[in-house]
Amino acid sequence: MSKANTQERIVIIGAGHNGLVAAFYLAKAGLRPLVLERREVVGGACVTDEFHKGFRCSTLAHSAGPLLGRIARDLDLERHGLSFVRPEVRLFAPSPDGRSLCIYEDAARTAEGLKKLSAHDAAKYAEFRESFTRIGRVLAPLMVRTPPSVDTPTLGDLWNLGKLGKDFRGLGKRDAYRLLRWGPMAVADLVAEWFETELLRAACAARGIYGAFAGPWSAGTSLGLLLQAAFDGHAVAPASFVRGGMGALTQALAEAARAAGAEVRTGAGVERVLVKDGRAAGVVLEGGEEVLARAVVSNADPRTTFLRLVEPTELDPDFLTKIRNYRSTGVAAKVNLALDALPSFAALKTSGAELSGRIHVGPDIDYLERAFDAAKYGDFSQAPYMDITIPTLTDPTLAPEGKHVMSIHAQFAPYSLKEGDWDTRRDEFADSVIRTLSTYAPNLNDLILQRQVFTPPDLERDFSLAGGHIHHGEMSLDQFYAFRPVIGWAQYRTPIRNLYMCGAGTHPGGGVTGAPGANASREILKDLKEGKPER
Amino acid sequence: MNRNYDVIVIGGGHNGLVNAAYLARAGKKVLVLERRHVLGGAAVTEEVFPGFKFSVCSYVVSLLRPEIIRELDLPRHGLEILPLDGTFTPMPDGDYLWRVNDHARTRREIARHSKLDAEAYDEYGKAMVEMGRFVKPIMAMTPPDPTSLNVKGLLDLLFLGRRFQKLSPEDKYNQVQLMTMSAVDFLDQWFETDVLKATMSASGIIGTFLGVRSPGTAYVLLHHYMGEIDGAFRSWGLARGGTGAISNSIADAAREAGAEIRTESPIEKIVVKQGRATGVVLENGDEISARIVSSSVDPRLTFMKMVGAEHLPDEFVEDIKRYKFRGSSGKVNLALSGLPDFKSMPGAGAHLRGAISMSPSVEYMERAYDDAKYGRFSRRPYIDMVIPSLTDPTVALPGRHVVSCFVQYAPYHLKEGTWDERREEFGDTVVETIAEHAPNIRELILHRQVLTPLDLEREFGLTEGNIFQGELTLEQLFFLRPAPGWAQYRTPVRNLYMCGSATHPGGGIMGASGRNGALKILDDWK
Repeated sequence: MSKANTQERIVIIGAGHNGLVAAFYLAKAGLRPLVLERREVVGGACVTDEFHKGFRCSTLAHSAGPLLGRIARDLDLERHGLSFVRPEVRLFAPSPDGRSLCIYEDAARTAEGLKKLSAHDAAKYAEFRESFTRIGRVLAPLMVRTPPSVDTPTLGDLWNLGKLGKDFRGLGKRDAYRLLRWGPMAVADLVAEWFETELLRAACAARGIYGAFAGPWSAGTSLGLLLQAAFDGHAVAPASFVRGGMGALTQALAEAARAAGAEVRTGAGVERVLVKDGRAAGVVLEGGEEVLARAVVSNADPRTTFLRLVEPTELDPDFLTKIRNYRSTGVAAKVNLALDALPSFAALKTSGAELSGRIHVGPDIDYLERAFDAAKYGDFSQAPYMDITIPTLTDPTLAPEGKHVMSIHAQFAPYSLKEGDWDTRRDEFADSVIRTLSTYAPNLNDLILQRQVFTPPDLERDFSLAGGHIHHGEMSLDQFYAFRPVIGWAQYRTPIRNLYMCGAGTHPGGGVTGAPGANASREILKDLKEGKPER
Repeated sequence: MNRNYDVIVIGGGHNGLVNAAYLARAGKKVLVLERRHVLGGAAVTEEVFPGFKFSVCSYVVSLLRPEIIRELDLPRHGLEILPLDGTFTPMPDGDYLWRVNDHARTRREIARHSKLDAEAYDEYGKAMVEMGRFVKPIMAMTPPDPTSLNVKGLLDLLFLGRRFQKLSPEDKYNQVQLMTMSAVDFLDQWFETDVLKATMSASGIIGTFLGVRSPGTAYVLLHHYMGEIDGAFRSWGLARGGTGAISNSIADAAREAGAEIRTESPIEKIVVKQGRATGVVLENGDEISARIVSSSVDPRLTFMKMVGAEHLPDEFVEDIKRYKFRGSSGKVNLALSGLPDFKSMPGAGAHLRGAISMSPSVEYMERAYDDAKYGRFSRRPYIDMVIPSLTDPTVALPGRHVVSCFVQYAPYHLKEGTWDERREEFGDTVVETIAEHAPNIRELILHRQVLTPLDLEREFGLTEGNIFQGELTLEQLFFLRPAPGWAQYRTPVRNLYMCGSATHPGGGIMGASGRNGALKILDDWK
């Protein structure tokens, strides 16, 4: 390629949702992003796949985080064929004793339903919702701002912190202190402060341990609820689906990026980052092709980026140690089912609308904690916690007439097992998932036409997620905000000039929100506009 | 006999006594009221069995603030601290880990398990000392209120920010991890030897309802490096005459300064008139008035029992009700006719003179915690065992020994049965656990005192048996201790102050709460 080209070209490693979002904003600013994707399809962990003749399912992620509204607007995703599906039911939680609850978008309707479980909880629910909405409003700006530099805060950093302080004071003492107390708290304690019904406690607490190597009694797990609130003003995960499965979302992102002038190449796996005198100068593809660039942006997780794509000799040993200590041991597995018909849940007279959002399996706090205990000792849960969706209820196009697909996110399935390995025990775990689920949906087993199973090592192999961690690393207090991925390097830059990070391993972390990609692109443009990196 | 006092201090524990001593030295007329027949609260020595003097609850000292020792001149009042050297951890496979104050020896011992760890141990020690230096001044400061910052509070926060700024990048990194990580995750980064990590992480869970893998437990690792005796970092010690000797020396200092101290004076209630505390009523009906009431007992007793919700704002009552105690530990005191003989290191060697830690592996510690999570005491608990009579012969008859066993986990709330029913079963579990390493212990036991969390509550007024007057978890520390907005030793009731472990910086025989509380009272005195 001509020199002129490479001088404007920015290589982005990985066409996951964050990589594509970054590509769009860089292209819009007049640069020439080239997104290189190892797999034949764009989307990374946000893809749809026909895993059985006529049955399509969101392979890994099955709901958006939600995607930032600003990104949807900037990229004009509707025009690129995206249509969101937002059922009124956020979450349905059955319990083995036949009782159940529904969290609706509408707080009043939710409270009404809770009455049959507990008058106290029904009364408390509205305040619970509002408190998280108010706190979420204060935290929301943080998600789309670059964390401050800890070593040398700039005026901008201080200004932002000042703004944060002001919003914080605006919360009023009650909520301000809630925010301070909840941050480091065990989510089990947080929900116990609000509700008395175990089923409701567990349904809310689940967000705190989603994808995390932690149980509800682990301190700091309340963070997950606060982050969720920051993204959509709610402590409970949203049912934010996409017609055509999550792959349709990344397809639209790719379309938007291309339309803005970005180039997207699939089947182009990056073998390593080219570093010349301490600066990233491009990448070398599997097969040897060199692609020169003015800057390189990695959408891969921190461990993959710095321990696999960059020569150790290019990095300072202390930094390497920190990256090696970066905690990213996956605990989540994915089981996708092709079903002959809609399973009937014992807790429902007629299977219907209640099932159209997320389905939470984990009836009480101790159940969730026990599921985690197994992982601590290097075993998988015999009675796992599950977050389930049946996308065909809101999008029939995913399966033949009358048939359904079921997408099951199951914990805990630790990356490394004490006994045996995942290749020999994969089905054993899938069986425990089906067995557990059958106690809620007795006829499930007879309806299964096909099942697809991904364990953490599968996620590592097929989707290059180091440790098989769906969030590119634990979202814990020590790996959060100005400490993500490591303190001193939370501003999307890296110790190697012209090498940037834009993945879930950067602030504000995992979930299909696009925020890391958008934040990263802003920092990159700052540098390139100021012309910092010499050519 | 009802003279008018400037200050009535509720509770003659170490914090109450420190509080009284500082107030009396400032010329205030102070009266200390203790419910029990003996001073010291949980820092007490009692001759439970004839000829055997036990540090009934708290048994080692390391965190007692040096400025308090200095300012109250405690050595002159009889405080003598004898060094307690080393931690011996027996292992089921017949091996052991024995760390002592002699750094070189400890290094060699660790090298026996792992060369890499021996090298890391130096680095680790250096790093922790730096961290300790960073945290220490925070212990002595009154927490600012982040939601309504006055100039002072703003300066305090700036002060903290500045101090943090000044740390080297490495220390910043360590500090953040210490405040947020679990002890095991933190130690995993330094060491590979399981038993080393298990024993070290044990300090992170003492008195909490957390496991060694629970985030927030790393921070307590620092305490080991902040403990100072005569300025010597990391040294733990025993008070000659037992832990009660510490309380007695403080009491002596208080009396010398003019404080009056009464035992067997249980308090019925705190008198509140027009939102002001005006004195107390004893259980025997006597009313004693004072200008200030300073309570060293925990918030639930102070506010729910002695003040009464009717005198308090609803939100505050809510916060106090929510304040977590959840006692998780018990204490077993043994009178022995001889010394235990450990399979992994037979004989009456120096290894018996330090702490003996039943913490053979991280999984052992974690399983002990799992039992507690689901409401039973650990089938194989973590035990920190000390034989004070080896260091301080005055506490037992010649040839006889007293053994102090701190036991975790023992949850206050049992799923099955009550503590009154299961007390001895718990005691047996402890003896069995020790016997697995030192079988002869069974034959040596002359007397056994078993203190469950319920007993700690009944005997020592520690709600739910929490030895720190409330969990030392992040959401109950610093400006959140004991309640949001009330971390500055004041309370919603005017002229009523707090000075116990339930205030910043909290538990351990530190005395900092008592001192900070006194300084706050003197500040406000106008």
